[in-house]
Amino acid sequence: MDETAVAETPEVAAPSGDDWNPVERVILERRSVRKYKDRQVPENVVRRILEAGRFSPSAGNSQPWKFVVIRDREMIDEMERHVVRWCRLFRFFLDWRSSPLGRLVPWLMAQVSIRVKRNQLHPIPFGAICLIAEGKLKAFHGAPTVILILEDRRGVSRPQVDVGVCGQNMVLAAHSMGLGTCWVGFVELLKYGLKWRRKFGVEFPYRFCEAICLGYPYGRPDGMIEREVMEVDWYEDGAKRSVCQGGKDVTA
Amino acid sequence: MSLLSWRERLTIPTYDNEEYATTGRLFIDHELCNGCGVCAQICPGKAIEIRGEGREKKAYLEEVFPQCMSCNDCAAICERDAVTAAVAYDFGYYFKKLNRGEFRKPVPY
Repeated sequence: MDETAVAETPEVAAPSGDDWNPVERVILERRSVRKYKDRQVPENVVRRILEAGRFSPSAGNSQPWKFVVIRDREMIDEMERHVVRWCRLFRFFLDWRSSPLGRLVPWLMAQVSIRVKRNQLHPIPFGAICLIAEGKLKAFHGAPTVILILEDRRGVSRPQVDVGVCGQNMVLAAHSMGLGTCWVGFVELLKYGLKWRRKFGVEFPYRFCEAICLGYPYGRPDGMIEREVMEVDWYEDGAKRSVCQGGKDVTA
Repeated sequence: MSLLSWRERLTIPTYDNEEYATTGRLFIDHELCNGCGVCAQICPGKAIEIRGEGREKKAYLEEVFPQCMSCNDCAAICERDAVTAAVAYDFGYYFKKLNRGEFRKPVPY
């Protein structure tokens, strides 16, 4: 066989206890950035990040996404105001602790809508809706650039997952260049009302899905942190064992 | 046996009941903290507040049901390593967290 054909793959990908390689380091040190500097990100950097998104895996190579880059400060502020307006409306009808409608009616409406939209109205986003309505939290965190990822509903099997994979590729690429990013799910509120749907041309097959804030981070937010250890089921040699990922394994 | 009972599956927790919901918890070392307030600014749940004047200016976790999601962003941005999140949030019933343990740093296996 020709010796130059294929370079031999090493037996062990990474020796145990070895230091993190650069890619692992970017993955482990990535933190969501919620405070940005005013400085705009250079255009070529944004283009490089989009390139990372273009080459991400998708089901059946359907690439069910469309990117919209917004670098207009006024436009981002206007989107912010739109999100705040809708959060206020939701809080008015759903937050029984502060609604002027009294306690009982919003409580009943909340109980019904939470059952319909369990994940969207999980306590954490529910709290975020209230915080945004009160003006304590910003949806776009004052980022100079926002990349909107529209989902193409004609995609193969689960287009939303492909959007997530594509977005994470871009996020990791951005962090490897020293930028900060944050996922913003609240862009979904832009689908209410015709204004933004007309402006971005969001009609079938496209749908608002997620957005990524992009900018130079304030301070140094990236770093390794502690996370909960996690139980993993492990099947090997005809037996099942439980593995404690991140902690010490308990041998049964 | 399922991991959640039928009662737990059908019951959506009321969001501010401390009887069955635990919020995320932070531990702030007040000897190291200088009250710069960066953690309070970046906290996604706005669960950290800065109180006090001058040298006594320190970060505190909100006392009444803080919306801490133990994301540890505050621990990462803190220049003095004064903050750590060590208790995960758990809203109980339908939103109960399963198969998660204590907090650990990434391990190079």
